[in-house]
Amino acid sequence: MAETLRIEHLSKTFPGQAALIDVGLTIDAGEVHALVGQNGSGKSTLVKVLAGYHQPDPGSNAWVNGQPIALGDAHAAALAGIRFVHQDLGLVGSISTVENLALTNGYKTGAGRRIQWKVAVRQAKEAMAALGLPDLDVRAPVASLPPSQKTAVAIARSLVGWEDGASLLVLDEPTATLPGADVARLFDVIHRLKAKGLSILYISHHLDEVFELADRVTVLRDARRIDTVPVAGLDHASLIELIVGRRIESSSASEAATSGAPVLQLRGLTGGNVHGIDLEVRPGEIVGIAGITGSGREHVLGLIAGQLPYESGEVIVNDRPLQNYEPRSGIAAGVAFVPADRSVRGTVAPMNVRENLSLCDLSPHFAGGRLRRKRETTETNWWIEKLSIKTSSTETLIGSLSGGNQQKVMFGKALRLNPKLLLLDEPTQGIDVGAKDQIHALIDTSSNDGVATLVASTDTDELVRLCHRVIVLINGRIAATLTGADITAEHIEHTQLQTNRRDS
Amino acid sequence: MIKRLALDRFSALYLWGFFMIVFGVLRPRTFLSGTSLQLVIIENVIYGVLAIAFLIPLTTGTYDLSIGTMMSLSLVITNSVAKHHVVPPLVGMLIALAACGLAGFISGFIVVKLRVNSFIATLGMSQVITALILKTSRQTISGAFTKSYQDIGNKKVLGLPLFVYYLAVLAFVAWYVLEHTPVGRYMFATGGNPEAARLAGVRTDRLVWGSLIVSGLIAGFAGTVYSWKVGTYSQSIGPGLLFPAIAAVFFGASQLKARPNVVGTLIALYALAWGIKGIQLTFSSDTEWITPLFTGISLLTAVALASRQGIIKVHKRKVDPAAPAVVAATVAELGS
Repeated sequence: MAETLRIEHLSKTFPGQAALIDVGLTIDAGEVHALVGQNGSGKSTLVKVLAGYHQPDPGSNAWVNGQPIALGDAHAAALAGIRFVHQDLGLVGSISTVENLALTNGYKTGAGRRIQWKVAVRQAKEAMAALGLPDLDVRAPVASLPPSQKTAVAIARSLVGWEDGASLLVLDEPTATLPGADVARLFDVIHRLKAKGLSILYISHHLDEVFELADRVTVLRDARRIDTVPVAGLDHASLIELIVGRRIESSSASEAATSGAPVLQLRGLTGGNVHGIDLEVRPGEIVGIAGITGSGREHVLGLIAGQLPYESGEVIVNDRPLQNYEPRSGIAAGVAFVPADRSVRGTVAPMNVRENLSLCDLSPHFAGGRLRRKRETTETNWWIEKLSIKTSSTETLIGSLSGGNQQKVMFGKALRLNPKLLLLDEPTQGIDVGAKDQIHALIDTSSNDGVATLVASTDTDELVRLCHRVIVLINGRIAATLTGADITAEHIEHTQLQTNRRDS
Repeated sequence: MIKRLALDRFSALYLWGFFMIVFGVLRPRTFLSGTSLQLVIIENVIYGVLAIAFLIPLTTGTYDLSIGTMMSLSLVITNSVAKHHVVPPLVGMLIALAACGLAGFISGFIVVKLRVNSFIATLGMSQVITALILKTSRQTISGAFTKSYQDIGNKKVLGLPLFVYYLAVLAFVAWYVLEHTPVGRYMFATGGNPEAARLAGVRTDRLVWGSLIVSGLIAGFAGTVYSWKVGTYSQSIGPGLLFPAIAAVFFGASQLKARPNVVGTLIALYALAWGIKGIQLTFSSDTEWITPLFTGISLLTAVALASRQGIIKVHKRKVDPAAPAVVAATVAELGS
């Protein structure tokens, strides 16, 4: 069978880290080829090299339809007929499908450079009909379309004119944000494309989708290609085995000295991707929340802290129910929250380190009708020293600090409230190894002081390192609770991938 | 060089010094006289009051573009009440302030509860107020005020009318609240990152709402000052005062702390005022067109200098792209 894409000896080294090591990949014509692996296994690097965003190391070779092409060159990839639909789709929500398609395609114009709207609308309708969506309203703003149709529009846009040359469509986690029912509609679109002879490289965390769609699957682990196998004859367990591998675990957290009444009780908490969670956390306990993106892991802490509104259920801290979507009530009850996505929800950019640190509670520094700046500076310096924050002074704008140091300021901001319950959403995402170790040590210390802690993280090693108990979410529900010696990266990863069949 | 002279953060002071020297040399007897000094101070009090009215909600990231028309509203109410002798003018003034406070309250409701962008909400509000004013009074009203009423503002102390001191008190209170109390800190946090502020327990909605009520009251007070200083109401007064006030706030926000602040605003306002005075004295006739040209160019230059520093910092330190001065972003938004 003809090969659409062949990659040989692809390596990509970032300073201090190999992201891909001697990876080979072949995709046959008309094949749906799945690419799977854990976070950090090299999937996204491979896609970015293909798209021309990253330059590969010398010695990497690739052919499209038998013709050699230069990797790391966006233009060459486009010319060779490789098309991409990225996870965020890259559509402009406020304009219509017609206009979105025209962003890449351009408009056919008549006299006086007048846009021939009739032609544009007809072409857009044809493009959507080709994907099995003849009834899609191509004049409606894209933002008003259901999620699966948005993905279809993004696919249509990437395939504009594909009859004249597209050969490979790369879909990067197309279902990450799709509700269950929409996934089936998207699959319908993909089946149509396959039937027309297009090759598809399909990247996903959802193994069910791999089994449903793909002809073959390539597994990456720790920057290497582990295997490429036909999906027929493969079972779920052996695929997970390939993805996770066998590892020897480092020592995990010690047993928690947990006693006393629970600090946090969740009863049927429902909202966002979370569908009914019951959970108790006791003083001194560190509980981890694991799960693939979309499982609800990304929303649990936000629901508790008042970042997101919940639809039903109860959040009880020290026997007091918290108000829904009201961060103040949590803070008053002794909850401190370090949100994910620091620059959006954590730091106030035009403010300095001192002002960011003390924002939640200014009462210690407010006396005699005014803020006492000296006291505030003294306290800030104390935290800078305690958390070894690298900053030139307390008056430095928070944005001038490195990510790790900004995150330490966020920790100081939370810890200075003397919380009873600490909520940490992706506490070490995107920060360097040194700062990560320091932050882990801080979490241990505060837990030894009796603080109840909830950590949501995509970094399984982090959960293993920190937690006394790990709950694994699948489809918004608790699928498993791991304790003691059962908390291993292998276990967590196995569990979170296990039965992630979507119900719709 | 620029860094050592801090040309970015103190450009208004340099500008001020520059005017003093240039016009002091060109027109030593008139420009540097006590009379000019008094005139410049007195003539700009209303701009100063309006600038503070604009500044308060701006710290929370909220625009109030209705301050000019609220000032007219206050003026027309005060004048009408005084004209009809129903109640004493002072009561009329309080009614006027209450009306402006109410207008601010309604703007706040539209911004906070109906989630309308403050730029649009207050622009719309200003048109509604204009309609009210036109409906109430089509004529110019003059000579309505009693001397005792006008004395409240005009009585001279140390050579300056009382309303100059009222501005000083207003500026001091605004400065104190913004820079030295938790409320001020929460307002800046709301303006800097509303979601982060909310998650930190700040009542962002109340602050936005409250700041619009306060800006209404202060804009109403600008009308009061006008009723003391000039006394006459006509339909053209108000909206035209908006730009100089806003310019002073944005120019001022590029000064000192690189965020909206009271001291920077007043320095910017008076630096520009002195420049305008110097021009008027130097080119005796036909200089009206110079004022807006001058204000406009000064504002653009000052903010460009401050933004340039921000950009250089970003490139050097690779900071978070959200970090550069809030001024640049707000000005860009205002222009769009």
